[in-house]
Amino acid sequence: MGKRLVTRTPTTFTFATAQYESGDWDSAPLVPPNIIDTIARYTEIAVTPAGVIVSLASPDLLRYPLVYLTGHLPVRFSDAERRQLREFLDRGGMLFVDDHNHDVDGVFHKTATEEITRTIGEPKMLPNTHPLYSAFFKFDEGPPTTSHELNGWGDNLVHKNLFAVMREARIAVLYSSKDYSSEWGYHPDSKRFQSVDNTKFAVNIVVYALTA
Amino acid sequence: MTALERVASARRALGAAVGVRAALWASAAAVVFLAGFGIVDWTVGAPRAARILALPFAIALALAAACYALWRGRRVRSLAAVALWLEERVPRLRYALVTALDAPHASPLLERDIAAVKWTPVIRRALGHALLPPLLVLAVAAALLFALPAGIRARISAPHAGDTLLRAAGAPAALRNRLTPLVAEVVPPAYTGGRRVTVDEPSSIDALAGSHLVLRGQGSASGIAAALNNATVAPTLLRDSADQWRLDIVVPALPAALELRDRSYARTVIVAPHPDSIPVVTLTAPAHDSVMRTPKGAFTLTATATDDYGLDASWFEYIVSSGEGETFTFKSGVVRRVSAGNARTASLTAALNLESLQLKPGDLMHVRAVARDRNNVTGPGVGVSETRTIRIPRASEYDSIAIEGAPPPGVDSSQISQRMLIMLAEKLQARRAKLARADVVKESQRIGSDEARLRQKIGTIVFARLGGAQQGEDAGSNDASGHRTPEQLLAAANAATQASAGTTDFEGDETPVVAVNRPLLEAYNAMWDASRSLEVGEPGAALPPMRAALEAIQRARNAERLYLRGKAPVVIVDVSKVRLAGKRDDAKSSTRLPRATLDSSSERRAERFDVAIDLLASNPAAAIDSLLALRVDALSSAPTLAGALAPAIDALRAGRDATDALVRARRIAAGGTLARMESAWGSAW
Repeated sequence: MGKRLVTRTPTTFTFATAQYESGDWDSAPLVPPNIIDTIARYTEIAVTPAGVIVSLASPDLLRYPLVYLTGHLPVRFSDAERRQLREFLDRGGMLFVDDHNHDVDGVFHKTATEEITRTIGEPKMLPNTHPLYSAFFKFDEGPPTTSHELNGWGDNLVHKNLFAVMREARIAVLYSSKDYSSEWGYHPDSKRFQSVDNTKFAVNIVVYALTA
Repeated sequence: MTALERVASARRALGAAVGVRAALWASAAAVVFLAGFGIVDWTVGAPRAARILALPFAIALALAAACYALWRGRRVRSLAAVALWLEERVPRLRYALVTALDAPHASPLLERDIAAVKWTPVIRRALGHALLPPLLVLAVAAALLFALPAGIRARISAPHAGDTLLRAAGAPAALRNRLTPLVAEVVPPAYTGGRRVTVDEPSSIDALAGSHLVLRGQGSASGIAAALNNATVAPTLLRDSADQWRLDIVVPALPAALELRDRSYARTVIVAPHPDSIPVVTLTAPAHDSVMRTPKGAFTLTATATDDYGLDASWFEYIVSSGEGETFTFKSGVVRRVSAGNARTASLTAALNLESLQLKPGDLMHVRAVARDRNNVTGPGVGVSETRTIRIPRASEYDSIAIEGAPPPGVDSSQISQRMLIMLAEKLQARRAKLARADVVKESQRIGSDEARLRQKIGTIVFARLGGAQQGEDAGSNDASGHRTPEQLLAAANAATQASAGTTDFEGDETPVVAVNRPLLEAYNAMWDASRSLEVGEPGAALPPMRAALEAIQRARNAERLYLRGKAPVVIVDVSKVRLAGKRDDAKSSTRLPRATLDSSSERRAERFDVAIDLLASNPAAAIDSLLALRVDALSSAPTLAGALAPAIDALRAGRDATDALVRARRIAAGGTLARMESAWGSAW
């Protein structure tokens, strides 16, 4: 018997939103379809037309290369969530955490960073020359600012950098205080009314998660 | 008389002869040319453009002849030349005359010899030889010119449209076609103020409907018949005028074919009328329909009106409808009727006194501008503007909801500023060692004043809430806190926070209002402490209470933050649509389709055109008549074809090449340019 050839068909990228026990994990329901729309618009990545919601404690978490986590309220992972998330990150998954409060003194920021630190390690400032910022589009000045930063809401700070927990030179957890959840939280059909598409950075995150 | 004086006298006589001879030659040249041109016009007929140029050319020719004659006699200006001319013709002088003129002093002997010679006969003969030839030529040419018919001379001296009839026909009267030449004269209605227009050999006459049309030809009217659109024209309209016939008709409102017949001769003339447009009126104010809550004062009305020939009058009209249900009353009126004085453009302004209309809630007022032209033949034409409606609302219509964006809550903005003040205080504390004490105190006091301003802001929020809560929720209690001054409230708040002795939490039996305000009260007191330290220039001591205030404000923010959200929609992204890679079942590429079938009338016109073209080789006159008849029909139903036929008919009549015009007319008759066939994709955009 000859060696059997195993062919792998390209899998379809599915955008996953993390569901956790505490807090309001579903505070930005329009971000997933908006990012899916952006991926379809700018790339040829095979993408599932609708996002999925995956529990942090579920083994299904391992089926997705990128998981998006956001919220306003305090985040407290259960042991199962922490364990599953750690395995997900160790196996090459990437968690994108965004503070929907845009407030470094807010409860989400404090509790989420505590939980991330406890789970995988302390987030460190990500230099703006990181390959993430050139994975697809070029962002020479680092993460794009959001209207919520510029309008002075939340902590009234324009965050110059994102934070990340690295695993072997790749980003395991990408942490943002820039409130992309608000910035990208609109129906994708409304994108045509914007003079500049503000969701392009999402393409970099997805492409980085799929290629790094 | 000396020899010199006698030569000078001869020179004057010869000079005058040269001038007269030049004038005679000039006249002769002009008259000869005009006589020749007249003969040509008489025999073969000259076009009007050539006749217009004939007289200027004759004058130019005369000037040229005069100049040449003067140039020929230029030597008469010189005494020596005249003396030599005399010596040549009177040999007896033996050069004595030339010698006498050349000598510096007069010689008595020479003068005597010269005086003995008489040369007057020589000069007389010379004058006769010089003047007689041009005089004879002029006389003969003038005789020829005046022998021509008077009409020919008029055609040359004052060429104008309609002078075709002045040229006598060559054929005998019995055989002559009295329909050629033909002159049409259009006299527009008096109200237009337009000038009469004369057209030679018309095939189509464009005129304002109601104009007076006169057709004239040579010969008597006897035996000539006319029909307008196959209806015989009354014979009384055909009459003799001098040695011409004339037909007087009124230009009808619709295109018509005027057929003239003289025995076996026939001629068709198309009468293409254009109507007098009604005035165009634009109401510029009010520009829109509107609602007027208080119908008082003057209501300004402005409008403009234009007409193609002239306006007679303009005014505003209004209608007021009142009532409701099934009972309505109406009243109408006219405002400011003014005469436009035959101007083509007029502006109209008026003020409508609303109080005089006694408008009531629920009334509708309709306003429009009206203008009338001076058309007293087919009109008058009356133009009206758009109607504007002004509504007086009923009292029940005032219910409405106004939603305005609210500013960010005060707590958020004060928290932001507190963070900034902490950063300033930290920087000042870091630089304290390098600064003079006075500078530290000054900078610290500036931060302290900002801190005090923020504290007052927090206090305003807290006191407003406490006061509102007590008024709203404890109105029935005996507590008189609703009448407390801010200072008293502050004291009460101070006591409340001191009594709690530590970080306030929201547990226990406190009301939500107290629970919300307690962190703010803590912040308020901490900011007091910070202000005191800042006032004495101690930023380091101020920082702990400032941070405590920020922390308390943050707790208040978290306590109040609400995340209200409806059920989020489930959005399924149409990836194919986003990538413009979708497909439409009804989409297809562009296809070339056959030309759309002509409708029956267009088809008939195309067939008639083809028949006329077929006739062109064998019977050009009949072909032209067919094309004329086709044009009459097309004037109302297919004006583009009618417009294309006109140059073709004119070219055929004038014997010019009509190929291009006929090709264009044929293309239009066959359906014109193909319309672009839109594909399904094209139509989708």
